[in-house]
Amino acid sequence: MSRFAQVWRTSTVRLTATFIAIFVIFAILLMAFIGWQSSVQIQRQQTDDIDREVRLFQRIENNQGIRALAFAVDRLSSQPGPGIYFLGDASGLYLLGNVTDVPPEVLIEPGVYSFDYDRPNPWSDDAGLAPGATPSPDAPRRAGVAVVRSVELGNGMRLVVGRDVVERRGYSAIILQSFLVGVVGIILFSVVAGGITARRVLRRIDTIRDTSTKIMSGNLSERVPVTRRNDEFDGLATNLNAMLDRIEQLLQGLKEVTDNVAHDLKTPLTRLRNQAEAALRDKASPEAREKALETVIAESDRLIQTFNALLMIARVEAGAPSGALSVVDVSEIVADVTELYGPVAEDEGIAVESAIEEGITLRANRELIGQAMVNLLENAIKYAKPEDGGKGRISVRLGRERGRVLIAVADNGPGIPEADRKRVLERFVRLEKSRSEPGSGLGLALVNAVARLHGGSFRIEDNGPGVRAVLELPAG
Amino acid sequence: MKILLIEDDREAASYLIQALDEAGHVTHHAADGETGYAMASGMDYDVLIVDRMLPRRDGLSIVESLRAEGDKTPVLILSALGEVDDRVTGLRAGGDDYLTKPYAFTELLARIEVLARRSSPAEAATSYSVAGLTLDRLSRKVERDGETILLQPREFRLLEYLMKNAGKVVTRTMLLENVWDYHFDPQTNVIDVHMSRLRSKIDKGHATPLLHTVRGAGYMIRE
Repeated sequence: MSRFAQVWRTSTVRLTATFIAIFVIFAILLMAFIGWQSSVQIQRQQTDDIDREVRLFQRIENNQGIRALAFAVDRLSSQPGPGIYFLGDASGLYLLGNVTDVPPEVLIEPGVYSFDYDRPNPWSDDAGLAPGATPSPDAPRRAGVAVVRSVELGNGMRLVVGRDVVERRGYSAIILQSFLVGVVGIILFSVVAGGITARRVLRRIDTIRDTSTKIMSGNLSERVPVTRRNDEFDGLATNLNAMLDRIEQLLQGLKEVTDNVAHDLKTPLTRLRNQAEAALRDKASPEAREKALETVIAESDRLIQTFNALLMIARVEAGAPSGALSVVDVSEIVADVTELYGPVAEDEGIAVESAIEEGITLRANRELIGQAMVNLLENAIKYAKPEDGGKGRISVRLGRERGRVLIAVADNGPGIPEADRKRVLERFVRLEKSRSEPGSGLGLALVNAVARLHGGSFRIEDNGPGVRAVLELPAG
Repeated sequence: MKILLIEDDREAASYLIQALDEAGHVTHHAADGETGYAMASGMDYDVLIVDRMLPRRDGLSIVESLRAEGDKTPVLILSALGEVDDRVTGLRAGGDDYLTKPYAFTELLARIEVLARRSSPAEAATSYSVAGLTLDRLSRKVERDGETILLQPREFRLLEYLMKNAGKVVTRTMLLENVWDYHFDPQTNVIDVHMSRLRSKIDKGHATPLLHTVRGAGYMIRE
């Protein structure tokens, strides 16, 4: 594909071309209107002038006689300008004036006429010609066009007064010329400006395409450059980059999950296999066999649970259909789950206090919010054991804050070092201290995914001492 | 009980049939959707166990057709799809209960026994009684041998569900689903803790316990 064809296909160029066309058409119409209007105006002005002069001459003839008229005609004839004067006798013979070759029909019948004639040049243009001076008969002559009014005077003499319209036409020509220059200028300017714009646009699109090509070929760390202009392209680039960040994060997550699945699932599978083998051993007693089989079932139940949790996180991260969200009473969910776990905490010697604002509703998935709440409470119960051996405490809070709904579950356990607070939200991440505890390392990851699905966020804060897990959801 | 199992996985089916037989139930088997539908509409069963994904006709459409024909036989839907939405779709199609694979046989057995019971008129009773224990659903009063037992609202619902299914095993997940209306698996012994509290309220000081733990399955109220 040629560069031109490629440029033509860009919307910028097509848009520019359209605008040029509209602009030119509009300019032509405007100029034509102005030209027509001014020509009409000039014409009217000339006709008025002619009529006034004719009336003036008639008055001079009436009041002061034919000599005064002849003098006046002669004086005006010799002045530079577009004026045309002819005074002839009753038979139409030339007596005075600056034109001699008036067509006969003009002289026969009084009225308004237009005709071609020869006029001395420069007549009207030469401002230097002194008033009263008669132009040299040898002066170069040129074709003129006259608009005249001819009248018959009282004594039968013919008077013709007119204006040369060549000049007026020249004026129109100047308008047309400047207009053409203007239009050509507009076209040239628009083409150049459009071309530059199109090239800039194309270049930025090319940059984005080049980057995406690199990314497609496997270099996921590439990013589309963002300029400081903060225009639509930067908006697009920013979005693309955010999308790439998300993809990279997902891929990273996938990789980690694969690694962790390999590690965290192999261990229970090995145990499972060992138990099954032990049950098959010849020397095993029936009781030992039964016990081994029970362990096998318990072990596989745990594995199934882990798989379920993994699948759930994957499904939640992929984003549930919006139909799965409905208006739910979060206050009720939080209160229910807190109540559900109250006795468990109590049996562990942990005091649970709750401050749950009533009547908070959200567009949410009831099961997922409930599951998140369960995970938070199970975690808190597991870790709410102060290092100094004091009484474990858990506090559950639900409330609104700056247009967000906050669910916070806090304990007074050993807490999580600041460096690990983000990491524990990932799948299978278990800190050294909790390795010995039962659990899949998926609980907080699920809460995190649930928060994201609802357009909220999840974070671990310091409860000094202990952990404060905060699930923040946008108020519906 | 006469049970129809519509399941295409032969191995899973033969295991289930044998286990149900051991539990004292007669089970017919259909290996595809069309056959299953023909058998379900042609014969009278106490419970249908329908796999969701079947050759020739999927499980949900079978249930929908049966319901459209006015067949009220309790249906337990089995599925490898276990998400919340899948469960909702399954129940909306007319299923009475939904069980996700892989499941424990005890769970399945407990559920179909409760389901079969559901179609009997005991459902509408306003009060239940087991031995000396009575529960009045209207006045929300619980007595044992004439002695009033004070229960928390949730404990009342727990006992209500157990007594409605007196003599049947109810599993922990069934309790969580029916009493708390949640469908997740709690990882800790959360139900057991609630049960032990309930037990201390109704059995303490009485010679014969009514609330029994069924090992590897769940709980049961019986004389």
